[in-house]
Order: sequence, then C-alpha cells, then structure tokens
Amino acid sequence: MNFDYTDEQKLLKDSVQRFVADHYALENRIKLASNAPGFSADHWKTFAELGWLTLTFDEAEGGFGGDQVDTMIVMEEFGKGLVVEPFLASIVLGGGAVRRGASKALREAVLPGVMDGSIQLALGYAEEQARFDLDDVVTSAREDGDHYVLNGTKSMVLNAETADFIVVSARTSGGQVDTDGITLFLLDSTSDGVERTNFPTVDGLRASEVKLTNVRVPKEGVLGEVDKGYDILNAVAIDGILAIAAEAIGAMEILYKDTVEYTQQREQFDHPLSEFQVLQHRMVEMFMEYEQCKSLLYRATMETAQGSPGAERTVHALKHLIGKAGAFIGENAVQLHGGMGMTEELRIGHYFKRLLVIDLQFGNSDHHLQKFAA
Amino acid sequence: MDIELSAEDLGFRDEVVSFFAENAHKDGEDYNQWRMDWFAKAKDKGGWDVPKWPTQFGGPGWSPTQHYIWEQETAIHATPWDMPFGLGMLAPIVMNYGNEAQQKRFLPDIRARKVNWCQGYSEPGAGSDLASLRTKAVLSEDGTYYTVTGTKIWTTMAHIADWIFCLTRTDDSGRKQEGITFLLFPMNQDGIEVTPIITLGGAHSVNTVHITDVKVPVENRIGEEGKGWTYAKGLLQHERTGLAGVSRSLVALESLKDQARTIARGNSTLMDEPAFKAKVADLEVDLMALEFTELRSLASASAGAAPGPESSIMKLKGTEIQQRIQKLTVEAGGLYSAAWGATSVGPSFARAGMGGYLASRGYTIYGGASEVQKDVIAKNVLGLKKSTSVQTSKENGRNSS
Repeated sequence: MNFDYTDEQKLLKDSVQRFVADHYALENRIKLASNAPGFSADHWKTFAELGWLTLTFDEAEGGFGGDQVDTMIVMEEFGKGLVVEPFLASIVLGGGAVRRGASKALREAVLPGVMDGSIQLALGYAEEQARFDLDDVVTSAREDGDHYVLNGTKSMVLNAETADFIVVSARTSGGQVDTDGITLFLLDSTSDGVERTNFPTVDGLRASEVKLTNVRVPKEGVLGEVDKGYDILNAVAIDGILAIAAEAIGAMEILYKDTVEYTQQREQFDHPLSEFQVLQHRMVEMFMEYEQCKSLLYRATMETAQGSPGAERTVHALKHLIGKAGAFIGENAVQLHGGMGMTEELRIGHYFKRLLVIDLQFGNSDHHLQKFAA
Repeated sequence: MDIELSAEDLGFRDEVVSFFAENAHKDGEDYNQWRMDWFAKAKDKGGWDVPKWPTQFGGPGWSPTQHYIWEQETAIHATPWDMPFGLGMLAPIVMNYGNEAQQKRFLPDIRARKVNWCQGYSEPGAGSDLASLRTKAVLSEDGTYYTVTGTKIWTTMAHIADWIFCLTRTDDSGRKQEGITFLLFPMNQDGIEVTPIITLGGAHSVNTVHITDVKVPVENRIGEEGKGWTYAKGLLQHERTGLAGVSRSLVALESLKDQARTIARGNSTLMDEPAFKAKVADLEVDLMALEFTELRSLASASAGAAPGPESSIMKLKGTEIQQRIQKLTVEAGGLYSAAWGATSVGPSFARAGMGGYLASRGYTIYGGASEVQKDVIAKNVLGLKKSTSVQTSKENGRNSS
C-alpha cells in the first residue's frame, strides 16, 4: 500500500501547479472563457512544450506513457484553476478513443499532431434521447462501398468547435439500446454534412450540437472493430469520469478553503463568522465530504489503472459521491459567503458551476448510484 | 375543524378567476398599457390593486382565507409584473409611522405604480447584522435637511427605481439599534451612483448604491430621528411574509412533473424512474405539510390571535422547498442543463432550469440567512438561551423581533 507520488509525478504536479498559479487568476479565466475559441492558443502551445499533451500516449509512439494516476494529478490541479483548455476533450476523451481503437496508420497520422498541439480532438457520445446511457445510440452508420455514411445528431460535444477530428459513436447494427452494434468513427470535422451549432455552457466552457447528414467516413476511420465500439467507448468514459472527478476534487478544495478563510475575515454581530458553531460544523462537513471524495478518487483511479476486478463499480461509486458532495460543498460555500457568494465577482460561484456541470457529464449522481446498486 | 371552503369563499374564488380570465393579456396587446389598465380595473373591483392594504387606505379588507385564495390564483394565472418595494414594504411604514402629508404625498403614486421604489438597507459591512449599518446622515445647522453619505448593497432594482427608502445613521453614541433614521429620497440626482452586481445566474437585479453628500429635506424623514430601527423591524416582517411562496411552489412542482414526463426513458419517462420519482414525492410531502402550516397560521391570524409558533418556519421551509424544486429541474434537464447562452438545445425547460437553480441559492440568504433565522426561532419560539460558543448581543439580528 502506497499513496505517494513518484518523483516524476511530483515534478508533473509542481509544473501544472505553477502554470495554474501564473496564468489562472479569475479575471484571466473569465476573459478566456468569454472570447472565441474559449481558451488560449498560447496556453495550449505551452501544454505541448511541457509535454502534457503526450501524457496518456504510449512511449513507443512518442508519448509519456502515463496512466490514469498521471491524468488525475494534472486534472486535480486544473480543477483548482478552472482551466479551460481542452485537455479533457482532446487528450483524455478523443485521444483516449484514438489510441485504443485506431489502426497503426491512423494513429501515426493523427497522434503526433495531437501531442504537438496542432491537432485537436473531441468525443461525441451523447444523444438527446439517451440521457446518460452510452449504449442508447440512434445515430446510424450505413456501409457504402469503402465508406460508411453517418446520419444523426451527437449532443453536447465538448470542444467540437475547435476539434479537427471528432470521434462519434454510431449504430451499425442492433436495436437502439444494444451494446453490440455500436461502432466508433473518427471523422474530419470539416467533412461535408457536418454541421456544428456551438454554444457556451454554464461553467464557462463550450459545447456543440453536431448534426451529421450523409457524412461519408472512409473505412479506415473506424476505431476498433465494427459493431464492437462500446467497450472502447466505455473505457474512455471511465477515463473521462476519473479525470473530471479529479478536477472536481481540485475545485472542492478551493471552495472549502476559501470558505474557511472568508468566514474568518467577515464579521457580523461583532464576531468573525467563523466563531459561530453552526458555521464551523458546516465547514467541517464540507471538509469531510471533500476528503471522502478524495479517498474514492484514489481508490477508483488506482483500481482502474491496475485493472482490478470491480474497478468499474468503484467508478460508479465515485461519480455518485462527486455529484452529491459537489452540490453540498458548492451550495454551502455560496451560503456561507452570503450575498457575496451569489456574485460573479468572487471565484467560488465559478467553481460551484463547474461542479454542477461535472455532475451532469457522463451520468449524474443518481445514474451512477443505480449502476452501482445494480 | 373543517377544511372545506365556505360557499362565500368559493364564490370569491370564482369571481377572482373570472376577473383574471376577462382581463388576461391578449396577443399583440401593448404590455404596459395592459398592465396599467389591469390595475385600474382591479382598483374598481374595490381595492384589488392593493390587496394587502387596510381598508382606510383603499384596500379590500379581505379575510385571511380570501388572501390565501388570491395567492393561489395569482400563482396560476398570469398577472401583471409588479414590484413589492413600494407597495408591500414602504407603504405599511408610511401608513403606520408617516404623517398625513407623507401619506398623501407618497401612497397614491405607489398605488398607481407610477413611482418605483428600492430598499436601501444592507451595506457591505451590515448584512445579517443589519443594525451595524454606517451610512451617515448629518442634520444641517438650521435643521432643514440631512446630508447623507454611505454605501448600500444588494439593492434590488435600484437601477430602475425612482426613489429609495433608506436606513441611515444619525447617532453612533449608543446601542447600535439606536440612532438609525429612516429617510426617503429620489434616485435621480447628483451624488447617487448605481453599480450593477451580476449574480450567478447571469442576471442583473441587485446593485451597489453609492451615496455622496445627498441632501434630504427633513420632510422626507419617516417618524422620529433615531427611531428608524423600530420602523424597519416592522418592515422586515412584511419582507418575510410571502417569501415562503407556497402557492408558487405548488404550481412549480406540477410543472416539474410535466417536464419530467417529457423526458422519455425507454417505454416510460423520467417521472417513472424510481430515484427521481422518490425525490419528487418526498418534496411533495413537505409541500403538502407546508401548505397546511400556512393555513394554520392564517386561521389563527383570522381569529385575531398572535401568529403561532408554526408561522416562524414558513420562510425556512418554503425557501428550502423552492430550492429543491429548482434542483430537480436541473436534474430533469440532464446534460442539457449545462447549456448556456442564447442557443436553445435539448428540452425547452433546461436553460431556465439552471438559471433558476443558481438564483434560488440566494433564497436562503436574502431577507435573513437561514442560519440567523434558526437562531431567532431557537430564542423566540423554543425559548433557548444563546449558544455558548458565541455570545451575540441581544436584538441586533436582522431578524430579531
């Protein structure tokens, strides 16, 4: 049993921490989020220079060869700064699908660009009728000579706006909710028939509805085997959950610590708020929830990285707790900041909104509790 | 005990419903004209434009049950937009503590919806602990005017208000509840600067109001100098009534169910999913109970008794329920609740759901934070001594009464 980071991981953590401290004052974050493309191209270049974009890819292919623990380290620090650059969408999600499913030729064509920052990726997994079910897929892919022809709409696709390639799930056979018959495709986002409607999300990020009308994808664009895309999609979703859970932990830490600090400064009734027992206990509960989430994050991340049996069930437990505790910590951070907590001026509201969206991504708290109990 | 409405009450309900139906806004009709006409017609009904005003000031003199029926029906039907500050908060103070000249000067314009008021209460250093306010008012040597300087915060609708009613400090030598003076002055004058505060839902309704050397004639002082806290406490009670929003929650809960029924899950809907259904049911149980808690308070008020202990829980429970409805709306919207900005994606209710949820977090803060509210109940209702970990001085809370 060992919860210590390796020296290499400590260096990684330090360098991300330094980047966030230097570049992510709230005003900067707001400025980036409110202007197209919603993040900084310079930051992205820095990520590439520092090697962060190679993190999850195999050493043999020029990557760092890291696992979910390394991603966790990066994402937790990103969570503390509410980083808007599309590391999750491009590296963890899109990159995760490509490295798992793409042919050698396709990997060689795409991954070097992903790692040097010149190519961005996205993952279109959600559909409106599916709610949170990855296997509920209506978007269809029909074989046509050496191509597939895709029709349908992928929903709430993170980073589709700037992605050069989008991984989408489509049905090649089976019924609407069969896990068999789902195939993953890597499609060029500028292909004919790809129509993106881009919009901001409440947490300051951006997403798109991606409408596919007779989009032709060459057969080389299939990731993994035809009809067998679900396992890859599920593995990518698990990585996604672990990544946003780590980000949530970073955000929770800021929220509870800012609250502890604020209540020591703010005086009402001739006392700092921090002296009121009812508020002290509330902050203790926020802290306890944060620690419990962190424990489950470590547990789920290590079990997944080590391929332990039962890892997936722990991931469900984690995502459930992150959603529940995230709302509790966020709501109480606002409550204990009083009127100030309700303003866009303080950073806590921004962290709270990110936690709310994290609960909605890859299935909310209820969804995962049901999966856990099943 | 009898929970049936009397024949008179049922008749009143019919009358209210047909008034709303006859005067509903029609497509294409100018909104402002309709609004002014609506209030004029409500006035002709015998004071329906000012339901809560006493009869000597033109109110309808309804029984508590009639008020309850009115609340229920206004939650269901679309009635014109209105602001509570002049009508529900300032007017009772002017009626009780203002002189006749002030009543003649201010009440008609409030009733006609001609003048919009805002409430100059909280300050950066005086929130829950309102009595520690510091906006200074200095009386001129000839005793004809005050010079006011200070900062008010969380001032709702200050950016469209014509006048402000303001708590100011004229004396800081005694207890902090003493030396507070209640002044009225116009917003559109030199020395007043309104800065918007954007809240979490992205909305602009609250502001900071900077007041610098604004001269206020003594005729604009309500009651005596230094007694403003006493008047304000009466006003705070008015602010708290209605914050429970039971009628609105009953309507909101039904629309939540309707919304959840539009989210298909296989052959059924989200409303059939056990976890979601259980949460809605749990909420409904609390709301059913609160509806009767409100009726019990109304019944004792109707019998002329002092409000019973049950009335103290209305704001706490009511705001909690409103927040839970908003939270479930976000859950119902699923991933689409994250969509923001002008583009509409996913179920039609999702965009408003997130905005509503974020705004609802303020319900347990504004008008007295829930934690302070509970202190007041512990002291005044349960008769408990102050907790030992902190000694708060007596009567200094915003919600102390």
